[in-house]
Amino acid sequence: MIEWLESALHLTVQMGTVYLLASLGEIYAERSGILNLGLEGMMIMGAALSFIFTLAYGHLAAIIASIAAGVLMSLILAVMAIRMRLNQVVTGLALTMLGLGLSGFLASPEIRRGILLTLNPNIPEKLLGIQQAPTLPEYPIPILSEIPLVGEAFFHHNPLVYASYAAAPLMWYILFKTRLGLSLRSVGEDPAAADSLGVNVFLVRYLATMISGGFAGLAGAYLFLGFQPFWNEGMTAGKGFIALSLVILSTWNPLRAILGAYLFGGIETLQFRLQLMGWKAQSPYFLAMLPYLVAIITLTLISLENVRKRIGVPASLGVPYSREE
Amino acid sequence: MPTKIETRLGTIRIERRLTYSRLASAATTLTAFLLSLLVVAVILRVIGLDPARAFAVIGEVFLVPRLLSESVKQSIPICLSALGLAIAFKMNYWNIGAEGQIYMGMIAATGVVLLHAYYNLFHESMLLPLMTIASFILGGAWCLITGILKAKLNVNEILTTLMLNYVAILLVDYLVHGPWRDPKGYGFPLSIEFPDQAKLQFLFGSPACTGLLVAVVAAALVFCVLDYTRLGFEIKVVGQSLRVARYAGMNVSKIILLGSFLSGGLAGVGGLSIVSGIIGRLRPGASPGYGYTAIIVASLAGLNPWLVVAASIFFGGLLTAGGALQASMNIPRAATQMIQAIIFLFILVGEFLKRYRIVFERGGRT
Amino acid sequence: MEPLVKLRGIVKRFPGVVANDRVDFKLRRGEVHALLGENGAGKTTLMNILYGLYQPNEGEIYVKGRKVRLRSPRDAIDLGIGMVHQNFRLIEPHTVLENIILGLREPGIRIDFERHAERIRLLAEKYGWRIDPWMRVWQLSAGEKQQVELLKILYRGADILILDEPTSVLTPHETRMLFKALRRMAGEGKGVIFITHKLGEVMEISDRVTVMRRGRVVVTKSTKETSPEELAYYMVGRSATLDFGGVEFAPGEVVAEVIDLEALSDKGVPALRKVSLAVRSGEILGIAGVSGNGQVELAEVIVGLRKATGGKVIISGIDATNKSTREIIELGVAYIPPESVRWGIIPEMRVVDNLFLKAYRYPPYSSKLILNWGRMFEKAEELVKEYEIVTPSVHAKARSLSGGNLQRLVLARELSGLIGEGIPKLIVAAYPTKGLDVRATNFVHKTLLRYRRLGAGILFISEDLDEIMMLSDRIAVMFEGRITGLLERGKADKEKLGLLMSETAPS
Repeated sequence: MIEWLESALHLTVQMGTVYLLASLGEIYAERSGILNLGLEGMMIMGAALSFIFTLAYGHLAAIIASIAAGVLMSLILAVMAIRMRLNQVVTGLALTMLGLGLSGFLASPEIRRGILLTLNPNIPEKLLGIQQAPTLPEYPIPILSEIPLVGEAFFHHNPLVYASYAAAPLMWYILFKTRLGLSLRSVGEDPAAADSLGVNVFLVRYLATMISGGFAGLAGAYLFLGFQPFWNEGMTAGKGFIALSLVILSTWNPLRAILGAYLFGGIETLQFRLQLMGWKAQSPYFLAMLPYLVAIITLTLISLENVRKRIGVPASLGVPYSREE
Repeated sequence: MPTKIETRLGTIRIERRLTYSRLASAATTLTAFLLSLLVVAVILRVIGLDPARAFAVIGEVFLVPRLLSESVKQSIPICLSALGLAIAFKMNYWNIGAEGQIYMGMIAATGVVLLHAYYNLFHESMLLPLMTIASFILGGAWCLITGILKAKLNVNEILTTLMLNYVAILLVDYLVHGPWRDPKGYGFPLSIEFPDQAKLQFLFGSPACTGLLVAVVAAALVFCVLDYTRLGFEIKVVGQSLRVARYAGMNVSKIILLGSFLSGGLAGVGGLSIVSGIIGRLRPGASPGYGYTAIIVASLAGLNPWLVVAASIFFGGLLTAGGALQASMNIPRAATQMIQAIIFLFILVGEFLKRYRIVFERGGRT
Repeated sequence: MEPLVKLRGIVKRFPGVVANDRVDFKLRRGEVHALLGENGAGKTTLMNILYGLYQPNEGEIYVKGRKVRLRSPRDAIDLGIGMVHQNFRLIEPHTVLENIILGLREPGIRIDFERHAERIRLLAEKYGWRIDPWMRVWQLSAGEKQQVELLKILYRGADILILDEPTSVLTPHETRMLFKALRRMAGEGKGVIFITHKLGEVMEISDRVTVMRRGRVVVTKSTKETSPEELAYYMVGRSATLDFGGVEFAPGEVVAEVIDLEALSDKGVPALRKVSLAVRSGEILGIAGVSGNGQVELAEVIVGLRKATGGKVIISGIDATNKSTREIIELGVAYIPPESVRWGIIPEMRVVDNLFLKAYRYPPYSSKLILNWGRMFEKAEELVKEYEIVTPSVHAKARSLSGGNLQRLVLARELSGLIGEGIPKLIVAAYPTKGLDVRATNFVHKTLLRYRRLGAGILFISEDLDEIMMLSDRIAVMFEGRITGLLERGKADKEKLGLLMSETAPS
């Protein structure tokens, strides 16, 4: 029984980490007023590139490439949404579509082969055709991982999971305790006010958007390397959108995102487990709806008049800024 | 005072255009389109594929009758959903839930078929009309949920419509894995096959022709609603300014509810066109993202119903071309999605150039 | 002594308008310098240039003797320039502290909130303000928000302060406090630029005054050496007391009445406290008062855009309290909203659409469902002629019209009897001439007088006392949500009105 629970918790954290990483970045983007609906596309680009780069050069290169891909894509979003003031929803969705298409294209067997050979001419022949890559090794933390339940759940993971433990509080700290964080939050609430105090609205928004892209790419790399190392076209399967609902549930707070991430991870684990335990085949579908329903309910609650003043949607979310009178 | 926006990027300023001629506008779009094709060509070339051949294959889709008919078939759900979105977007209501509304429409249509098949409650000639009504209502209701939240509590519709997509998709998964699974289907998650009377092919027995007729009729209706009815006028005013709409004595809540219902309803009928026009039964993942493509189509068409029809057929063609590219050139299907996205991104940038002028200034002048 | 600021030959053009035309301006140390002018005279544009928000097309800016180029507010702030905008630029969900230290350039990444809080508290005390730095801005009153705005500037050590119409949202008590603080700041050697269009304030607070009209500087004078009458003359370029003459007063029956009306402002505080008024047909009832004392709320409750929390609205003998806007329109009420160019016009829609924003739903312009565009276009052409709206065609987007023409469009829509029969029974006009040039203002005045002759009851809200005194048959004065006085035509003079506008009337 303990063992069963341990492995369930382990899986919960594993799955939750995908959402956590993706939502941390998205929180920054949305706090600055940019709704990054390209999240899904950036994640899957991260996954695809980590697949290709792991085969060609190894894990570290893969992670770097994934982050770079996310940043690059978010830069497109940034230029279009911030500088050109194009609609963020439409632009973001176009990027999701671009990511889904481009990743499927690049990682398909025919194309991948050519890319791999270009990247690394000495690559062993047997790596050219396979659909999977080695996972990131897990490093159990001495002593801590020995603690019953908790050890297995939290301290028996790969380095990216540990990185996410550090990232969430760090991102919280930056957001609420530093100059950059204050500028970022202000720009998302009232860019005109921030501008009149000399805050570079565009720069802050660019930065926040690119942070969201970087984290999305990282989340994609983690999804593939840490967790599901078989390439599958469209393998993110809407996880980017679950991360979007997590951002809402967290009310744009990186610390609360941790709880939400493991809640969603837990729900997903439960789906698997129930299926294994021979529950009716349909039950997982209703469980899978939960993250989305929870997000809608949260959104409704924080739209209520007296709650909105305290923890509302960033007031300028989705609104392009221009210095206009 | 006319608005003028000044921004600086080094010595580049972006200014709002006061006017832009139709011709210039069309030329901009065309240039953006051609540039996007150029980029696609470059990508294909870099990968080591022959762009000319690829474009030839794509072009064929619109020339060979069999492929064209397939393209038109594919375009119907996109077109219907995009027409619905045109209404919503005119209202400044960012419904990105057409995908979910499509799925709800499929559920409604299939439900009617099953009622007929299992309980034989009505004559089979009533099938299609009832399916249409049911899919419109259920698709509309799905969007109406977000409309109510928006109108009564001002809940951001972008996020709610998006979230409801997945709920609808999972609902279909549940139904075809569970209660609606075909008992004779060897355990596959599929509904029973629709009887012929439930299929969208009453015109010349061709789903493409029938679909096209439905699409054109729907476009005409949307055009008339938007330009010639009180509701259409109200929708446009609400879309421009809630405050002015209230000032003019319009019942803004009611308009948002009606508009969102119409928008979702059309996507719902789009769902019907998938199950009874393309697949002939309900199955998981029946829509490969038509609802998202519809967003692109609606914005490319500038929310003009007639252009929506044209743009849909183009995107339906791209979908069809995906299969052809794979078969003849071994280009993965995902490539078509990539091409779609690239074209769209370029045309969006074109929209920017239509609205703003980029002024290059020499340094030193204040 | 060297001036703090010297502007020379500033020219700023917007498409179709010259907002600043070769403007010269000087600010000395230790002075409060009033920048006076009507709305649209170019005061705010000039100051936005000095604050780096706009780039001038021509001209030179010297700050403390050095020629500078201000590319953004950042540059201005670095030179010690601070600006309080007319509308507060505060982030409501954030704390006072966060608002003040936003954008502050300091070494280090972390913000030492405690230290800043203490310093802000001290700074505030110096000017006699009591502000808790940890409060959220949405919890503050308008006066306190203004203090936060000033603290934002002072905390940056600015010695050139620009205040754009700072008193428009303040109570007299708050205004007095503000003036005291401004004096103190000037005493410290700072320079204060005080933008206003109110003569009384100029006389009260300023050392020198610069008057602007139509984008140009008319005169700069020491306040002691001038008088309100002289300034008014410079400001409007005409004798301030125009008389239309021949306006005999023959009021009919009451067309609209409000009884003990109460309502809340957008911020949820009482904006109307038991207001009672009656408008008779054929009369113009002027509502005078500093804006923000409940006038707009009064108008909005009458036309159904705001809920009454108490009292009654009676229109043509029918209880219209909290009826929908549409029902009230159907009772024959026309409404010219404040800033109608912004809140009564849809720039991206055509002239014809804007003309029929209300009438589209009534016959003969539509049946139950379908619009009759033919009739609408026909009528629109007529209205464009009748109201002399300058537009390329009725198909043109409203965006392409000038402000004065847009106001004509609003008048045409509201007054020409598109809905129902004949003319409107009640016309509620809120600041209908604000921001218009003299010609357009005259047109509005003439139009209102015409409808008065035709027998409409007109509720006329304005800040401009001259205008109010010129047009109104009776004048009600509003202050802090109350009617502090009701004067007959001829019995009102500026002193009396001024008193009523700032003090609670004996009840």
